[in-house]
Amino acid sequence: MLVLTRRPGESIVVGENIVVTVIEIKGGQVRIGIDAPREVDVYREEIYEQVRQENLTAIANAEEIRRAVQDQSRPRDDDT
Amino acid sequence: MDQAEHEALVEKALHFPDGLPGLPDLERFVIVELREDGAFQQLQSLDNIDVSMIVCVPWMFFPDYAPVLSDIEQAELELESADDAILFVPVSFDSESHQVFLNLLGPFVVNAKTRVGRQLVLTGTDYSTRTPIELPGI
Repeated sequence: MLVLTRRPGESIVVGENIVVTVIEIKGGQVRIGIDAPREVDVYREEIYEQVRQENLTAIANAEEIRRAVQDQSRPRDDDT
Repeated sequence: MDQAEHEALVEKALHFPDGLPGLPDLERFVIVELREDGAFQQLQSLDNIDVSMIVCVPWMFFPDYAPVLSDIEQAELELESADDAILFVPVSFDSESHQVFLNLLGPFVVNAKTRVGRQLVLTGTDYSTRTPIELPGI
């Protein structure tokens, strides 16, 4: 991992057109501004990771979830 | 599945150009109804038949649910009005407690006219990936 030291107001340029700016440092928190092209998605890592994990779980358990929510009055040949 | 059936499915397919978080290569899906009351659907991948996810339209359970699309997301999906949007969320289940959950943090939004969609990762909300619901009429 590349590690750089920046002061508030200073920036890092990633590639041609992404600029990450340290805006403010206060009480153990850093405010960061990100300028990126509109086709680049920017997320808080932990939020994106939650959705990603939840997708993988939902897919791994799709069969069980389907049985749990399926209308029991509608018989299907693959019911167990 | 024969060729004609496959073509009919592809015709109805939803296209997610970016794939899903965790599954970036899966772009084409179809929706299969699971219940007569229309409460739950199966989002079935056409790129990998082993991959599917149970989804539901959340407003039956959460009438006030109001995810906000960013300008960028709206532009990407070419959504001009909310009426053109189809929205559904992933469903999960805990087999020990028999509790069903909705993922309100990661809704799918599809433009009904173009059939192009994506899964959003909402920012600046308190919505959870595991919001419990009670099943209707089973």
